[in-house]
Amino acid sequence: MTDSKLRVRAVAKTYPGQDAPLQVLQDIHLDIRPGEFLSIVGSSGCGKSTLLRLIVGLENDYQGEILLDGQRITGTGLERGIVFQEHRLFPWLTVAQNVGLALENATLSEADKQRTIAEHLDLVGLRGFESAYPYQLSGGMSQRVAIARGLVNRPEVLLLDEPFGALDALTRATLQDELRRIWQAEGITMILVTHDVEEAVYLSDRVVVLEPRPGRIKRIVEVDLPQPRQRTDAAFVAIKDDVLSDFGQLPRPSLLPTSWPARSAADYLFAL
Amino acid sequence: MSSTDTLPLPLPHSRNLAARSLRWRQAVLARLRDSALALLLPAAIVLLWHLAARHGWVAAQILPAPEQVALTLFELWDSGELWANLSISLGRVAWGFSAALLIGTALGVAMGLSKTAEAYLYPSFKALSEIPVLGWIPLLIMLVGIGEAMKILIIAKAAAVPITINTQQGIRNIPANFLEVARVYRFTPRQLWLKVVFPASLPSLFNGLRYGLTNAWLSLVTVELLASSEGIGYQMVWGRQLFQLDVVMACMVVIGLVGLAIDRLLQLAETFLLRWRRSAF
Amino acid sequence: MSTFTKQFQWLRARDLRGLALPAGLLALWWLVSHFQLANQHVLAPPQQVVQEGLSQISGGFGWDVLASLGRDLAGFFLGGSAGFLLGSLLGVSRLAEKLIGPSFNAVKQIALFAWIPLLSVWFGMGEPAKIIFIAMAAFYPVTINTFEGIRSVSRDYAEVARVYAFSRWQLWRRVIIPAASPQIFTGLHLALIYSWLATIGAEYFLKSGHGVGNTMIDGREHFNMGSVLFGLVVVGCIGATLNQLAVRFERRALVWRKPN
Repeated sequence: MTDSKLRVRAVAKTYPGQDAPLQVLQDIHLDIRPGEFLSIVGSSGCGKSTLLRLIVGLENDYQGEILLDGQRITGTGLERGIVFQEHRLFPWLTVAQNVGLALENATLSEADKQRTIAEHLDLVGLRGFESAYPYQLSGGMSQRVAIARGLVNRPEVLLLDEPFGALDALTRATLQDELRRIWQAEGITMILVTHDVEEAVYLSDRVVVLEPRPGRIKRIVEVDLPQPRQRTDAAFVAIKDDVLSDFGQLPRPSLLPTSWPARSAADYLFAL
Repeated sequence: MSSTDTLPLPLPHSRNLAARSLRWRQAVLARLRDSALALLLPAAIVLLWHLAARHGWVAAQILPAPEQVALTLFELWDSGELWANLSISLGRVAWGFSAALLIGTALGVAMGLSKTAEAYLYPSFKALSEIPVLGWIPLLIMLVGIGEAMKILIIAKAAAVPITINTQQGIRNIPANFLEVARVYRFTPRQLWLKVVFPASLPSLFNGLRYGLTNAWLSLVTVELLASSEGIGYQMVWGRQLFQLDVVMACMVVIGLVGLAIDRLLQLAETFLLRWRRSAF
Repeated sequence: MSTFTKQFQWLRARDLRGLALPAGLLALWWLVSHFQLANQHVLAPPQQVVQEGLSQISGGFGWDVLASLGRDLAGFFLGGSAGFLLGSLLGVSRLAEKLIGPSFNAVKQIALFAWIPLLSVWFGMGEPAKIIFIAMAAFYPVTINTFEGIRSVSRDYAEVARVYAFSRWQLWRRVIIPAASPQIFTGLHLALIYSWLATIGAEYFLKSGHGVGNTMIDGREHFNMGSVLFGLVVVGCIGATLNQLAVRFERRALVWRKPN
């Protein structure tokens, strides 16, 4: 078992609900190989985003354990990066400064930081937009900046929480290709949460299917196709249809609270 | 036979009940703790104040004891003096505010509806409103004397500015979509006013009233301090001149309480009038 | 096109209808005083008012303006800084909010000018009392807006900071303060307006020394309509200028905001 980068062992998570505690994750086991691209799919409310928040360390109250290179993770860490669904760029910073946020606590010289930022903006195709403010960017461009920010400090694992969910279909296809290219070039372990089965099959080595209430693993599908993949390829379509069959009975709309308990950023000043 | 008696009635889940009563108890406890915390600081200040007065750390002329202030407040109320002055002040606010309501709404509606009216009136309105109420007091004293008219004019000016601005903006900012809906259904002008313009601009109108009334109260205190021979502000000046700081402080308490009452009243009125806002979004 | 007409193009583009009302009033005033329809003492003719105003300018009025502006800014910085500190404390700590918030809200209800009699006993009629009063005027809006600005910073931003292992200081300096800055600026802007108002008020009530307010009050006592009107215009112009400066500064400092 030494070849697994990230191990998720018997993880369960409950939220205090209205009347009774609400279980969102139950008995999750996963072994993620170094450099693997793993996708987690499931209908809304299956806890897939929660799982990501546990791995990145934004939620620390759970049962079971999560190990990175054999070390139990505690809180957030620079070796784990995340790209959120809403790009979460800081509106008061330029594109370059936003990417630079991830290097705030890196031990690099100022010149090295600038060089790395420029390289990563190149990587996501945003050269020339260094000094633009987020309000001047389209949704797709914002998400590219968010990906650059996620990559720039060279995390060992990059978590992607429905990064293309809010984009139009064309932009999404373009960014999927870019993400694939970056992943192949950089060799970073990536975990993608998505509700788009085609996206998962297109990008991943393995697709984890979660079922809801409480969220647990239904099965794990190997996608043994060479990269880059053809969406119209018969083998591709077969795997996609296979995964989709798991969603045969469409679950009812989520009963889970969609918003977390409302707290403001200031609370974290003394909770960090 | 009705089917109701065969239907399983939803039984209260015992665990739910327990959880609920626990949460309720926790909420009450939290509320109590918060109130205690809130009272901590005032209590400490009053205690320190009391000690300072009692041990003569500060001269009584500069800092009368808190119990003295409370006693004075009670006596002023009991003798009817306080109420006599307060009712005069409140009367002035009522007159000034009513005048402001009339003028402000008329001006605001005119400038909101007609670009022509706006072109003629707005620059002058803007220039006059730019000059603070305080600047007007000496001029008005010269023009209309130091009597009631001056005070009511000052209060009216203070209140009319926010009322006018908010009325105008309320009407201007009605989303074009709403007006288009009205056109699709061929509303009459009356229907347009009652069903679209008024309700859509109500939040803004209310904002104007709110700032207007707050401004009216603030400028009343100011104008009474500066030029008056009766009213709550005058009572303060009188107390100050006789170096009776207990009277001054008692009046401050009353002024604060009236301010608070105005604030609360407006909040109540707002939640009542604008009920639809929460349900609509 | 000649440079002359070019220079005056803005005049043509401007809407001159707004001048109709003031012009009419001026004409009315001139007529009333010309045909002596009102007491000359109460309503001096316009030309006399202008003359008085001009003599004011030559007679050291500039120093009065500077004195007023000086104490305005001193009070503004004092009250603004105190407000920023208290607002930050209330925004960052729930305990501080519960402890101090209710008292702050209660004291806030006392109309600002009602403090003057008390302040005049405690601090005299001189400069300290005036500056403290002006500082109080600036203090309230900055406190409230700083507090609310900090409280409304989205938790999403804080999570980004946690992902990149920001220290508390980094979270404060790089996330909370910039995110709250639009509302903090709103508070400062209001404070600037209120403190100018309070400056005039302080000069009315605490009648020692020099200032625009003193000039106006003196003018009233000597039935000098020119001084009073002139003072009125100056007070309005300075207020409007301060307001414009605040708007400009805000626009520059917050370039990252989406323009409407």
